[in-house]
Amino acid sequence: MSTVSWITVRGLFGRRRFLLLLPLPLLLVLLAVLSRGLGVEPTDWGPPVLVGLGLAVVLPVVALIVGTGVLGAEIDDGTVVHVLTTPLPRWQIVLPKLAVAAGVTAVTVAIPLFVAGLLADSVRLGLALAIAAAVGALAYSALFVAVSLLTRRPVLLGLVYVLIWEGLLGNVITGTRVLSIQHYVIALADQLAPTDLLSTTVSVSVAVVMTVLISVAATFLAIDRLRSFSVAGETS
Amino acid sequence: MPEPTGVIHDIGYQRYTGPRLGRRYVFGALYLHGVRTAFGLGRSAKAKIFPWLVVGIVLMVAAAVTAIRSQIGETVMTYAQFADSMSWLVIFFTAVAAPELVSRDLRSGVLPLYFSRPLSHADYPLAKLLALVTALFLLLGAPQLVMFLGAAFTSDGMGGVWDELLDLLPGLLYAGLWAAVFASIGLLIASLTGKRAFAAGGIVAVFLMTTPVVGVLSILPAQAANQLAGIASPPTLVQGVGVWTMRDLLITDPDGVVPDLGPFGPVYALAAVALVAACVTLLLARYRKVAAR
Repeated sequence: MSTVSWITVRGLFGRRRFLLLLPLPLLLVLLAVLSRGLGVEPTDWGPPVLVGLGLAVVLPVVALIVGTGVLGAEIDDGTVVHVLTTPLPRWQIVLPKLAVAAGVTAVTVAIPLFVAGLLADSVRLGLALAIAAAVGALAYSALFVAVSLLTRRPVLLGLVYVLIWEGLLGNVITGTRVLSIQHYVIALADQLAPTDLLSTTVSVSVAVVMTVLISVAATFLAIDRLRSFSVAGETS
Repeated sequence: MPEPTGVIHDIGYQRYTGPRLGRRYVFGALYLHGVRTAFGLGRSAKAKIFPWLVVGIVLMVAAAVTAIRSQIGETVMTYAQFADSMSWLVIFFTAVAAPELVSRDLRSGVLPLYFSRPLSHADYPLAKLLALVTALFLLLGAPQLVMFLGAAFTSDGMGGVWDELLDLLPGLLYAGLWAAVFASIGLLIASLTGKRAFAAGGIVAVFLMTTPVVGVLSILPAQAANQLAGIASPPTLVQGVGVWTMRDLLITDPDGVVPDLGPFGPVYALAAVALVAACVTLLLARYRKVAAR
């Protein structure tokens, strides 16, 4: 484990604010247990809990908080200079941070999704959801790390993507789903464990290709932006 | 040792004897500054991007609805339905504006400066809350005004305009309810952290994570739980109050999915009032004692 990733992990967990990550996954598990315990049909509670809460809210919001936290927080309070002045190639700064962000997001989201999937249908669905969520965590993290280098307001830009693009437009204009990580994750999970709980219009091949493409492109973009990074004070 | 020879010269210092503006003026200034901050007025272009993006989208939707109604004669949505269909944008605007209003002051540590003025500890949060309520009301009210003007100029005679006005006023009241509920929750969350990024994420997380709770509660095998489900989430809570008080204006499609309140309409109204009251109380408690950081 490199020093950069060690610093990043301590930055994420060193303060009390990582407790913010707990309520969302807990709520997911709680709702799944409640529905199961009261004997509601999985076809009724599966879509709102697994997709509506798990894949549409918990995954992107956790990825957003963590992904912009690993690099954006350091840029915000100016301590990124200490890392930048070390003789490290930029990719050795971006990649460990991205790995930490994706890892933390994947663990936080995959475990409750596994439990919820297990309660909804079977171990297979639980595993499928967990794997798909981990893949989605990588893509979201790469995207949000890149966003935190492109703008000084990464959280708001990330929210525009999550709320307006995926949330609002994705439901109205189905064509925009081709560029929505949420639907890649649904397509992947549905392919790994075919059930009638998950449904999307995006095909699996498109989902796989686009996930890889977005992850790689965002990572390269982040490395490139960090290469020509200018340290500036807060302007607005 | 010689006698001290120092003298004090009168160089003309004067006390201020004019009128002092006092608490009300400070409150008014803070409120006006808050409303301007919410829309990024008086600040750089970067601060205007996100608020005006939302304003642009809602005005565009209003213009499209007006155009469809005047050309084809089909009412896409009533004034009251406008707020309901814009709920995601209202959440986003709250997440943009609330941290700007309170989190920046916390982060830069200027609160002791504010409270060294003739400003009571309740005034600061109340002025900010009022500013956010006003901003949200303007965000939802202005598009309704656009729709009203469009309808008024295409309707025939004063009777038609009067009917439109009678439709518009409940819509504006409903927008005010949306503004009050969302502003009090959003400002309370934002006042907990000095980091704007965390505040914005927290606000969106709270609003979004409550929506699926409603979805699950409304399919439980108990009728009372189904009818009370809407209380679990702010948007459906406000919608429930609206359905109870002005059903005809909110539900125009007889085949559409109607939230079933059962006999619990007044409970929704009480819950909304209690929610706002609780948030304001917590907000006042939050600012009762202000540390420098």
